[in-house]
Parts: sequence; structure tokens; C-alpha cells
Amino acid sequence: MNGNILQTELKFTETYKRYRNAHPAIREAMCLKVQYPAFFTPVKPSDLFAGRIKNTLVGITPDEWGLTSFGYYCREEEICKILRTSEIGPILSQKIEEMLEFWKEENTSAKIRKAYTKEMKMWLPSDNWMGEPGIAFPLYRLTGGNIDFDKLLTLGIPGMIEEIESKRSEKLSEGKVDEIHFYDALLIALNVLIDTCRHYAEEIRVMIKGNNTEESQKRELSEMRDILEVITLSRPKTFREAVQLFWIYSLVADVRNYGRMDVYLGDFLAKDLESGVLTEIKAQMLIDNLWQLMADRHTVVHNRVIIGGKARVNEKNADHFALLAIEATRHIKEIEPQLSLRFYKGMDPTLMAKALDAIGEGRTFPMLYNDDVNIPSIQKAFDLSYSDASQYVPYGCGEYIVEHKSFGTPSGVINLLKALEVTLHNGVDPVSGKKMGLSQGSFTHFNTFEKLWQAYCCQVEHFVGIMAKQEELEYKIAGQEASYLFMSMLYDECLDRGKGIFSGGIKYLGGTLETYGNTSCADSLTAIKDLVYDKKTLTQEQLLKILDINFEGYEKERHLMLNAPKYGNDDECADGMLLNVHNHVANYTRDQVNKTGLHSYMIVIINNSANTLMGRYTAASADGRRYGESMNNGNSPSSGMDRKGITALLNSIVKPDTKIHAGAVQNMKFSRSMFKSNRKELEYLLETYFEKGGAQAMITVVDRNELENAMKEPEKYGHVFVRVGGFSARFVELSEDIQRDILRRTLY
Amino acid sequence: MKLQGLIFDIQRFSLHDGPGIRTTVFLKGCPMDCIWCHNPESKSFKPQISYNSSLCGNCMSCVKVCSTGAHKDVNGKHEFDFSTCQSHFECADECAFGALKIIGRYMEVESIIEEILKDKAYYENSGGGLTISGGEPMAQFDFTLELLKVSQSNGINTCIETCGVTSKRNFEKVIPFTDTFLFDYKATDSYSHQSFTGLDNKRILSNLDFLYKNGAKIIVRCPLVRGINDSEEHLRAISSLAEKYPELIGIEIMPYHNLGRNKSHSIGESPLLTNVDTTDEETKHKWIETLKLYSGNNSLIRLSQ
Repeated sequence: MNGNILQTELKFTETYKRYRNAHPAIREAMCLKVQYPAFFTPVKPSDLFAGRIKNTLVGITPDEWGLTSFGYYCREEEICKILRTSEIGPILSQKIEEMLEFWKEENTSAKIRKAYTKEMKMWLPSDNWMGEPGIAFPLYRLTGGNIDFDKLLTLGIPGMIEEIESKRSEKLSEGKVDEIHFYDALLIALNVLIDTCRHYAEEIRVMIKGNNTEESQKRELSEMRDILEVITLSRPKTFREAVQLFWIYSLVADVRNYGRMDVYLGDFLAKDLESGVLTEIKAQMLIDNLWQLMADRHTVVHNRVIIGGKARVNEKNADHFALLAIEATRHIKEIEPQLSLRFYKGMDPTLMAKALDAIGEGRTFPMLYNDDVNIPSIQKAFDLSYSDASQYVPYGCGEYIVEHKSFGTPSGVINLLKALEVTLHNGVDPVSGKKMGLSQGSFTHFNTFEKLWQAYCCQVEHFVGIMAKQEELEYKIAGQEASYLFMSMLYDECLDRGKGIFSGGIKYLGGTLETYGNTSCADSLTAIKDLVYDKKTLTQEQLLKILDINFEGYEKERHLMLNAPKYGNDDECADGMLLNVHNHVANYTRDQVNKTGLHSYMIVIINNSANTLMGRYTAASADGRRYGESMNNGNSPSSGMDRKGITALLNSIVKPDTKIHAGAVQNMKFSRSMFKSNRKELEYLLETYFEKGGAQAMITVVDRNELENAMKEPEKYGHVFVRVGGFSARFVELSEDIQRDILRRTLY
Repeated sequence: MKLQGLIFDIQRFSLHDGPGIRTTVFLKGCPMDCIWCHNPESKSFKPQISYNSSLCGNCMSCVKVCSTGAHKDVNGKHEFDFSTCQSHFECADECAFGALKIIGRYMEVESIIEEILKDKAYYENSGGGLTISGGEPMAQFDFTLELLKVSQSNGINTCIETCGVTSKRNFEKVIPFTDTFLFDYKATDSYSHQSFTGLDNKRILSNLDFLYKNGAKIIVRCPLVRGINDSEEHLRAISSLAEKYPELIGIEIMPYHNLGRNKSHSIGESPLLTNVDTTDEETKHKWIETLKLYSGNNSLIRLSQ
């Protein structure tokens, strides 16, 4: 019998109950005290920095630990599994059952759903976006926070305490009770951080005493222990101290995207290299080690490290760090961290050259972000100053925010192809047979294409409006529940205002909506317009019937649909339809700021594997796609439908307006020989693409047949990395339908 | 009527037909009949039908529109007889599966220029442009000349890939509008040239000389097929070109590949070379080493990818 099971989770729950009616910031601080360092796991002998975290089943986080696990969360399914599979005595078992019961209504997601308006409950009946058909689904998380690590490393823990105390006395003299609680909670949280450092220092002390440790390891461990103690007492002075503080802080804050690392670590690196505290080789070793720790964090879609770009105060030092960062990505062959290079005309060309070396080796990193396009686009899209926009960072799958100033968590997904499909079926979902959207008449009622287009637009607008309000509500409840202390103390204005980030503290509170199937939807509309309305090759009834029976017996008609113009071929007609779809959903979404209190609300055309997952529940479509097959990925053409060559593809993908959304990913697949034998032409190609307005590129480099062979003999191809959409993966670890989707993408 | 050319393909992002990133326009029709030709569908000066049975969906749409009986429904399976076909092409318009295609479209200079201009920015950054290839561009002389002129007036770098068979007068006329000539050099002695290509090489060699002396920028391109035209004599002759014409931009060795073999079947013909494989790396290496030896390491000679 195991009496230790879920002890921290139970204690966390007890603490929460005890402080249930306390100020939310205080309640959170007391809960954090239980959570950390308890949920940290021991350093591994090879680690040069302390900080590994385990899977926590009850806790508090801004980010997500599962479909609806954020804020105060309780991962019921996993706990039930433990109850089923472990030998637990009846008393403990009952305690755990009680805990599950308690969190059922007390977890933050449940509170959000409970607060839904009647309209939201009606049109967003399910949260299971990966496993059910639907036009739109909510997401529960506050993801993508990029905190001010520069401030943390400049002030150190003592400096942070000093600043908070000084703010506290200011507000104290003004008699602001609410704010005082907030500052008190921050101070408790910093003590949790100090305790965590000391916990590791103590643990390492014991390790060193142990007999199994080699001398060289002992030296590293002692240094690690000393550093853990030093950073609790003073601001970091060396590169290694800075990295240690950064890393352990990112874990307690559960911040999974790291922002402009070359800026906040570049000076530490330069100073240590100059003074001889570090050699280049040792510095590389430390960065490699950090990269491995990030990889072991297994966030899949996060772990973004940003290097390069405009508006870095210490460009030369930052560039030096950036080069070592790219080198680390070549050494540590993992799917994370997601190294991202911002670049601009005039930046040191060695960075781009080295980046292309890494990409050419098949690392999929760094991803490339064009500042010359992105900064002005973000300035316009988010309505910001140039100087704010120049501090943009991509996070997660490719959404943009301004470092430690703005927030833009995607709190919903919308499947545009499904919206069209439901419109064609008069509000009914052909997959489930259930009513899912607005009923606006049957397909045959739309006697012009324009009428169908209007009905599709209405359908999309209906859901976008609801999603915007849902996002606003999600922030509101999340802000009532907690202050997200570690994030708030390093987000601009929160300290000045004395408020948590979502309780009125943040400067720019924005939101985003993930759109999927954009191209599949546009290509379907193109085919319908072409075959039904213009050429009249098929009647509306025929088309619907053919789609409803998934082309069974209508292979010729499917080919007619496949032959209709497709986005990605520099074709005016097909690209024009994509622009209509893009402009409509992007502009309508962006307009929702007028109906909510959000600073911005925009679509993101990112992609995890949602194009495949949601495709499974999307019926056959008029672009020739069969029922259940993947939809297109991000802003890319449907897989394999770009047939006019790479320049035609690039010309197409620079067409959608970049000033009306909050991020879009461009996936490209090149052969290894293109990078090897035609490197110069490839550089010209990318250079021209970026000059023409290319905002971004995520590049997979594989050999012809490599992926096919990997499907046959996975054990031999663990080294093949591909970019799925907003994240990279070992090809062999992907599910078969995702593998097939990637295989079908055109290889240039 | 506006000037039209018979085009069988336009390929964007061509990297091997002249410098930089290029768009290659392939003209249909060639006076030569090279046994190793990898574009057999480019030889005829007429549009022709191509049929790829592996794509056929047996929908029989072609059978319904064909008045000559070339398409047949044999127990639910489609069969096509090239010898009966009279090139009416209705079948290709009906074929949703892309199994039947028309090779060769008549196009005006204007619409080709429109296509070429789409990638202008890529040419400018990479030093690329338009390449007119074939078939044989000089065989559609008026059209080629016009296309070159209009391209040049649009600021586009131009190349022609030619087998060298045309009059000096014609070459003289295109020189001012052609930035680079890709000039084929296929065999050395006149007899073997005749037997491999159907024509002797006297006029070709004198045209090469003419172009060179008139200041044209030329890359000589030498298709090499193992056991066919890779004789010592030919390799020595290629090497001596480098000495004879030191101002050439390059001499590119183009090792044979057999990817065009199946194309013959799709136009109802049999491939002429059936027993030669794509050149292996060792042979390529050997050729280059030999050429280096004969030419005294002349840097003009290089392997085309």
C-alpha cells in the first residue's frame, strides 16, 4: 500500500480550502508554497543547471496541463487512473475522491463554463475539439506569456523584493488594501522561489557527499550549489548564474516561452568571455545543457527561444549568443527548444548563414521571422507604436505578442471548412447529423454564388462574435481566480498598478482565435463557384449528394473538383478566393474589439496538428478532399496542390494581408540536395520571398523517399525531423494520418 | 493574326538552364532526332496527344466524344490506339483524370511574357531570367526573336538553348537580344553526329564559330551517354574547345539520364535507347577526370547537375 500517493495534491487542496475566501493573490501564494519545491524533481548527474519539474495533477498554472487544465486545475482522468491502478487504503482513497469532488466545480475552467451566457452554452456545447465535430470550440488556458527576464536578471531576487516593498509602501500610504494583498502575495511567491533554490542546493549537497559521484561531476555540482545559494542573496553576476535564475524562474512561473534570450543573456555571456570566467567551449556546453533541459520539459508546442532582429540594445553581444544558440540546436537533436530567428536587411549575415546550415541539416530550426515585414504589420494589426511593435515575439505555434507588455492567448478554434459544410446543409452537421450552426436555407436556395458566400460569412460571423465574448469572459474569470503572481511581477505595469495581470494589471490585453481549414474552405468555394455556378457542370443537388457519399462511385467528379484552381499556384482566381476568405474572417474578428473590452482580438493562422485532428470530423469537401482527411495546414496550400513550382507557391503565400492577423505560419518542404547543391539559388529564393513580403518560413528539409521509408521502417528513421505546423516532431512519432499529410506536401 | 509559338511547357524555378533562377519556355519541334532525347514529346512540330494509362479512371468520357474509334471500352477497361487517333483532342478536354493530355499549345508572346514576369524579382536577385529551350527555339525563329525582344525590353535576362541548326542570318538577328547562348555540342565527327542526331555537324560547328566571333556569350553543353558518344576523340574535342574558344562562359557536361524513357510510350512511340541507364557517379567522375587531363585542368569545363 502506498501512503504517499497524491500527498502534495491533497495538501494543495487543503490549503486552497483554508484560504478559499482570502484575497485571491494570497490564496495563490499559499498554494504555490505547497506546489513548490514539492513538484520539482532531482537534478540528473549530467545537468549543469538545477530545475526539472514533474507532472502535477492538482495545482495552479496560467498555462495548460490538458484540455481544460489551467488556472486551478485538477486532472481528474489521471487521478482516477491512479485510483484504479494503485493499491490505496480506504481512508486515502476516500480523501482523494473528496478532492476530485471538490475540484469538479472549483476548478477555473468549470467556473468559466458556468459563467457562459445562454448563447455560449447553446453554440459551444463541447470542449472536446480534438474528438468531436464542431464549427467552434473554446480553449482553456492563458498561454504565451513572455515575461521580462531582462528585468529579473538585472535586479535579481533581492532587487525584485526591494522594488515590490517600495511599491507596497507607496500604496500603503494611499490606503489601497487590495494592492497591499497583491504585493504581500508577490513577496511570498519570491520566498517560494528562494526556497526552491535552497531545496536544490541542499539536495545537491547530499549528492556530492554520496560516493557514486565522480570528481569532475562533483566540481560541477558544487558550482551549481554555490550558484543556487548566491542567486538568492544577490543579483546574478555571471552567465551561469543568470541562466540558473532564468531557468528556475521559468519553471515556477510555468512560463513556457522565453522571448528574446540573446538580449537578456548576451551581455552576461560577453562579459564572462572577456574576463575569462568562461571559454567559448564552456559557454557552448552550458547552452547545450540548457537546451537539453528545455527539450526534457516536453511542452511540444512551446519552448520558444527568440534570437536576432531589430531593436536589440546590445546587438553585438546578442549576436554572439545567437550564434551559440544555433550551434546548440545543431548539437541537441530534439524537437525543442523551438529556436526562432528574427532577421532584417542589414543584420550580421553570419546569423542567417548559420541558420540555413542548421535548417539544411534537417533540424527544422531556427524558424525564420522577417522583421522588415512583421514589425510594421504588427504595429498596424495591434495598433501599437513602432517601438512596442519592434519588441514582438512569436510564441507557441506562431502567435505574436509584445514581450512583457501584451497577451493574446488563443481561447478558441474555428473550423472554416466546417462552417461552409454546415452552411451547405442548412445548419446541420453532415457528420453527426446534429444541428450545429445557423439555418439559412438549403444549398438549392442559394441561386447565385454571392448568396452562398453571404450565408457562409454569416455563419462564420455568428461564431466569431461568440468566441470574442468567450475570450473576454475567460480572462475575467481567470483574473478573479488568481493573480498569476510570477508572471504578473514581470509584466509591465502590473507592479505599478498593484494588480495581477488579468485583474487589471496588464497594459495590452488581447485575444486570438485559431482558424483552421482556411485554404480547404477557399478551394472548396472556388470549386463550387467554378463547377456549379459558372460552368454548371454539376447541379447543387449532385454536388451535395457526391460529398455526402464521400465521392463513392464519383471518382470522375472528384477529379473535376481536384482540377479546379487551387491556392498556392500563383493563380488569380484561386488566390483571390483565399484572400476573400482571409480578409473576411480576419477583419470581422479584428472588429470584435469594438464589442468587447479587449485591446485586440485577431485570428491566428497557426497550426499544431489541428488540421488533421479536426479534419477527421469534417466531411468530404468540394476541393476534392475525402471525408476525414487532413485539411490544409496554416497558410499553406492543401498538401500537394501547389503544382507550379516554388516561386508560384511563394508568390501565392505573400498575398494574404499580414496587417490584420496576429500570426500565420508558412510551412515549406525542401530536399536535402536543394540545400546542398543549390545553396546559392536557395538563398536568392528566400531573399526574394522575404523582399516580396514573406513574413515567416518554417522549413523542413528531407530527402525524397526518406519519409516513405520512415513509415515502413520507423526504427531506422528516428533522426528525421519535420515541421508539422506550429511545432516540430520526429516524423516516426507522429500518427499515421499526420504522417500521410506531411508526405503529401510538395517537396521542392 | 498575332504571332504564336507552339509551346509544350513552361517551367518556373529552373536552376540548370543558364545562370540564377530562371523560367524555361519549351518550344515544340526540333530538326534533330537524337537517340538519347529526354523530351521525345518535343520533337514533333504539331500538337499531339499523350496518354498515361496509370492515371486513367475508366470513366469512358473519351470514348463518348471520339469520332475516330481510337478510344475503346473493352469490358469496362479503357484502351487507346495511337495509330487510329486523328488528333482531334476532344478526349483530352473531357479527361478529368489527367490521363489524356494535349502536348503543345499555341501561345502568344504576350501571355508568355505575363507568366515570365511573375518571377521577375527572383531573376533580379539571382541573376536569372528567361531561357527559351525546346525542341529547338531557332526552328520557330520569328516567335523566338519576338519573345527575346519583348523580354529584353521588360528588363529580363535571356538565354536560348539551341542545337545550332539554323542559318547564320537568324543567329545574327538574335545576338543583340540574347544574353547567353546554351549551345549543344553532341558528337565530334560528322558521321557519328549524323547517326546519333540525324544531321551532320558542319553547319553547327560553323554557327558556333560565327556566334563566338560575333561576341556572343556562350555556354557549350555536351550531353554524354556512356558507350554512345563518350569516345576519347569526342572528349578530346570537348577539351580542345576550351582552348580554341577561351572566352566561352563554360563547357557543361550533361550526363545522360533515362527519366524521359517512359515519355515515349505516352506519345505512342518506343524509346530509341532502351539499354542505357542513368549515368552513375563513377562514370561522371571518370569523364571529368579525363577532361581535366586533356584540357590541362581548364576551369571552363564543369559538370552540370
